[in-house]
Amino acid sequence: MKTLSVKKGLPIPVAGAPGPGIEKGPDVSSVAFLPEILPAIKPRLLIKEGDPVKIGTPLFKDKNNPALLFLSPGGGTVSDIRYGHRRAISRIVIRTDRTEDHEPFDPVDKERLAAMDRTEVISALMARGLWGFIRNLPYRAIPGPDETPASIWVSLDPSDPFQVPSSVYLEGNESVFAFGIRVLERLGAPVFVCESLGSEASHEAVAPLVTHRVAGAYPAEDPGVVLYHTKTSPRENHAWFIRGQDVLLLGQGLSSGRYPTDRIVSISAPQEGNGASIQTGRYVKTRVGAPLASLASLAGAETAGENRRWIMGGLFRGRAVPKDGYLGLRETSLLIADDAGDPELFGFLRPGLKKPTASRAFLYALHRKPFAPLTDMHGEERACINCGKCQAVCPVDIMVPFAYKSIYAGEIEDALAHGLLDCVVCGLCSFVCPAKIELAETFESTRHAYHQDRI
Amino acid sequence: MGRRIEKSLRALFDRGRPHFEDKGRLSRLKPFYEATETFFLHPAIAPKNKPFVRDSLDLKRYMSIVLIALMPPLFFGIHNTGFHARNAAGLSTDFAAVFGEGLLIVLPIIIVSYAVGLFWEGLFAVIRRHPVSEGFLVTGLLFPLTLPPTIPLWQVAAGITFGVVIGKEVFGGTGRNLFNPALTARAFIFFAYPVQMSGDAVWIAVRESVENGINAVSGATPLALAALADPKERIEAVFADNGYAFQTLFFGNHIGSIGETSTLCILAGALLLLVTGIASYRIMAGALIGALAIGAMFNALASPDLPAWFSVNPFYHLVTGGFAFGIVYMATDPVTAPGTDKSKWIYGFLIGAIAVMVRVVNPAFPEGVMLAILFMNIFSPLMEYTETRLRIRRRIPNV
Repeated sequence: MKTLSVKKGLPIPVAGAPGPGIEKGPDVSSVAFLPEILPAIKPRLLIKEGDPVKIGTPLFKDKNNPALLFLSPGGGTVSDIRYGHRRAISRIVIRTDRTEDHEPFDPVDKERLAAMDRTEVISALMARGLWGFIRNLPYRAIPGPDETPASIWVSLDPSDPFQVPSSVYLEGNESVFAFGIRVLERLGAPVFVCESLGSEASHEAVAPLVTHRVAGAYPAEDPGVVLYHTKTSPRENHAWFIRGQDVLLLGQGLSSGRYPTDRIVSISAPQEGNGASIQTGRYVKTRVGAPLASLASLAGAETAGENRRWIMGGLFRGRAVPKDGYLGLRETSLLIADDAGDPELFGFLRPGLKKPTASRAFLYALHRKPFAPLTDMHGEERACINCGKCQAVCPVDIMVPFAYKSIYAGEIEDALAHGLLDCVVCGLCSFVCPAKIELAETFESTRHAYHQDRI
Repeated sequence: MGRRIEKSLRALFDRGRPHFEDKGRLSRLKPFYEATETFFLHPAIAPKNKPFVRDSLDLKRYMSIVLIALMPPLFFGIHNTGFHARNAAGLSTDFAAVFGEGLLIVLPIIIVSYAVGLFWEGLFAVIRRHPVSEGFLVTGLLFPLTLPPTIPLWQVAAGITFGVVIGKEVFGGTGRNLFNPALTARAFIFFAYPVQMSGDAVWIAVRESVENGINAVSGATPLALAALADPKERIEAVFADNGYAFQTLFFGNHIGSIGETSTLCILAGALLLLVTGIASYRIMAGALIGALAIGAMFNALASPDLPAWFSVNPFYHLVTGGFAFGIVYMATDPVTAPGTDKSKWIYGFLIGAIAVMVRVVNPAFPEGVMLAILFMNIFSPLMEYTETRLRIRRRIPNV
């Protein structure tokens, strides 16, 4: 087992971590699939509004790769297909019926898996709607059928606050997880399982599977960061990764003969004034595509009131979601934060005992207690003054101001040389920037455009 | 109380805003309106993109900390200016009188610097339709502190105009300027109007009467004495004979540019800048090492044929002239310094070394800090470029 320690990054002390136990989520009357949030997938619908579907019925395929299917997470009737910006399909809603039939698939056991070759495993994963859990590096998009990765990374404990730790989702699922790893091993590349040092991840059953232990602050465990710190040649740049909880679905999906829909989701709604110690978070057992409102009701009274922002998939990398939204395919964390409030009289001159900062420019630096997140820029955008706070936190050693200015000047080759494709879009550069420049967003959109150009 | 003020201010700004919006009568003056509003009411804006939380540190805070760090040298400078003025005029030197005198001399200089500078800053903000940058508040205060107290106000206006327009705006404004604007302003005055910027007659401002304005009384600064010292003398002895013992130089109760004399007050400012992480310790430490190393090297070369400066204890370089002020407040300007860590050390080292070299070797310029910093400003892009190329070469390519 390799142990590595990532020096850069930033500890993010956010208050309101989810509590230890798992609650059972409420029954839902509808579920949805959100094609819009899968980058680089161009959906071609296979159903229309009013069609009856079972759990596992194909909803759409990818125009670029027709073998790649995305399946219904619920059984019932397609009640709504909604389009968003530029006619991208934003959601396919299924009103569930009481019985919720399953599409039957052939169960795959260990012996059968051992007999399958790589292409058979890949086509099975694509046909059973499981391929979307795997993403590639450096683009973080769903891989195409012809891609050959140098390695496959499994990330057990994402450190973006608040994700579901492996100690929670692995409980009782050790054998399914081990089978999921076996499936990955059939994809023709070495499989590495990363565990965060200090997490209580190691279940005895999965401990032998762990290959890398990573120490460091957010986002040290990110597969892109681990790859950056372990690679020795450019051949290793192209890799795949999958998150631990998704390995469970992979294993379940192949072994059970049913499209898997079990999800454990973290919900938290920390609020200023409650005090930092209040436990508002929950782990909830629910299903893929569940409506967010049903989950948020579990977080209790804290969700009441206006000016709350709902964030799906993490404070740093997630997306803002409407209150009538649904869980995305890979999303497992809902955070409800206070939205920016009123302007503050002489805000920049206050001592700032309660103004969270990574710098030492406020008295907050004396205690650095967990804070209830406030979705506020805390200032206005200005020109870059080259202060270098961004590059001091970049976990993959990008010289951020210079890479950013290369993009700004249209010098893409320069930005690539600076390591644009090593960027893991952790968002720390945007977080610390005193000029409030959208650095991470610029890197991500530039990389996305570059990827689209290359396809 | 605070809430009430906040509320009425918000109502006031809300009433005014329509005039400055796109279709308002005063829409071109929007930058001024925004600068004023956000000065009183710190804006609360929700992020459009991830990450959904942002650091509390913004440029307003950043620049405010630099301004607060400038307060010790500013207040000491006001007192010191007033003291020497009243002392030379043979008036009583009790604290209140001295401070009031200093205010009457220094405040007009600062007001002119801010007013004229803000005019140019605002003009470019209006033309380019960008917000007024907070960095100007630092430039507008740094510049007066580097001037002798007898400086004519029209020269202050001319200097800050040159600094803001030629030193910053022609390069594209804040963040794109090659030279530190405050130092560019000072360099302009220094070379254009040497009579008012150097010599023995500019350092003590005595207000005799309203009609005569501010008159100057003769007095030599330590640097002027050092430049004229006989090679056979020890500079330390020359200083001591003229009342410039090391402690005097360190505490700052002597004549010189308004903000530069007290090394102690500047150290207090430096401490704040370093504790809050606003200024680069690498640049400051590099400059310190550079000055001491070159000073020690000159000590080794010293002989009776060479100027007396050669043999001075290098620590004297740190407390004389504008060395401390330049190193703490000017060299650490992030825009004009290199943005890479190793280059910051070299940049600082060379500033310290060149400043001492100019002082010791070049008899035409008794002071070298300004020239050293401006000279290294030119090289900072080259140093950045070299270091980024070297670091990129160490990366495993990913394209």
